[in-house]
Amino acid sequence: MALTPDPAAVGVAVVKMRNPPVNSLSLEFLTELLISLEKLENDKTFRGIIITSDCPGIFSAGLDLLEMYGRDPAHYAEYWKAVQELWLRVYLSSLVVISAINGVSPAGGCLLSLSCDYRVLANNPKYAIGLNETLLGIIAPFWFKDMLVNTIGHRAAERALQLGLLFPPADALQVGIVDQVVPEDQVQSTSRSVMAQWLAIPDHARQLTKNLVRKPTADRLLQQRDADIQNFVRFISRDSIQKSLHVYLEKLKEKKG
Amino acid sequence: VKMRNPPVNSLSLEFLTELLISLEKLENDKTFRGIIITSDCPGIFSAGLDLLEMYGRDPAHYAEYWKAVQELWLRVYLSSLVVISAINGVSPAGGCLLSLSCDYRVLANNPKYAIGLNETLLGIIAPFWFKDMLVNTIGHRAAERALQLGLLFPPADALQVGIVDQVVPEDQVQSTSRSVMAQWLAIPDHARQLTKNLVRKPTADRLLQQRDADIQNFVRFISRDSIQKSLHVYLEKLKEKKG
Repeated sequence: MALTPDPAAVGVAVVKMRNPPVNSLSLEFLTELLISLEKLENDKTFRGIIITSDCPGIFSAGLDLLEMYGRDPAHYAEYWKAVQELWLRVYLSSLVVISAINGVSPAGGCLLSLSCDYRVLANNPKYAIGLNETLLGIIAPFWFKDMLVNTIGHRAAERALQLGLLFPPADALQVGIVDQVVPEDQVQSTSRSVMAQWLAIPDHARQLTKNLVRKPTADRLLQQRDADIQNFVRFISRDSIQKSLHVYLEKLKEKKG
Repeated sequence: VKMRNPPVNSLSLEFLTELLISLEKLENDKTFRGIIITSDCPGIFSAGLDLLEMYGRDPAHYAEYWKAVQELWLRVYLSSLVVISAINGVSPAGGCLLSLSCDYRVLANNPKYAIGLNETLLGIIAPFWFKDMLVNTIGHRAAERALQLGLLFPPADALQVGIVDQVVPEDQVQSTSRSVMAQWLAIPDHARQLTKNLVRKPTADRLLQQRDADIQNFVRFISRDSIQKSLHVYLEKLKEKKG
């Protein structure tokens, strides 16, 4: 994964996610992302981050199912803690975080972009975005649900979550899961323009306001992080869930093979 | 209620007190069932909180002022009367809060009449109950962006985002407010009032449960050197504009 200052914008870093083939959020990749984010937060020269993908056609496929299948409870707990940590760090970041979505973005990929301050999506009909967990036979954690409700409203989120909807660009814009849809070759430049608008606001006022709005949602997880981890471990360890994941992983193999 | 505190209907302590007395009279007078709040200062609905009450004063004054601001919000927000704002001028920050607290907002279609919570542009932040008002009205995502960017929405955008309910030609603002009022007053009072309270009580309670703490937070925040400095810079800019 590349972490570079944006040559076109002072104080802006570009995080180019690269974990081929599909930017799965494996434990290793999550750790890399967390380290990068921490560096940026501690480096006062950076005020904004653009998160994008360096894997063609895909923003992020989301959580790495191999971390959640056929492993032991201790591993599931370690993995879930890292997933929580990524969400909290992005969601509560004092920097302006914009996702330049240049590929498909299901499940965890969608969560990552929902956690940002702003979402720009490339106008490619293949680049659908949404929380599609139900299609895999699993369910989105409550804080994924909270993100979606906050962004598109209760009713739309309820339907999208239950149906596991993946929204192509026009629908994604209309329902509000992304803020802008632009031609594919304008995603990065648009993200930079939007970033400039956000960076024009006095940092302390913007940061305190961001925290004011986001803290209640983050607290709902912070107050029960360990319980949430235990819930996840119990849930993912269930025979029925392991079976669902097995079926899905086999389907993926068939597609490739 | 034709607000008149020239030049810009700033919500000074004195003006807040006048408004609160008027509201109390109306609530106690059973002949009144509705209020239309509008401005008698051309081009401005209300510029919002009076920065002179928040700059270069002592903590006791800040506390007195903030208590009055809270009181205005609570009285308008929980009023048993139907309250409609006929927004006939620019409406930033506290002016926006006042209109968000009403049951319904009619805005004049004049591109200069922008409305929004622009506190970040002054280097300060909106209190949590201002934020709650905006989230309730336009939704979480839109409110989050509007608050951080300190957005002031001109009429077309204001309607589209939902921060106002209707946009009409400037000479129809008062008559439209009256028509809307008639619709609301057609509902049996007790049913409408209990329903209004049902919907609004959770939001109001979030402040009521911590009014004193909110006052102390405000006093601490506004007294900070960095915040006093931001206000000073902004007040100097305003002087330059006028001079």
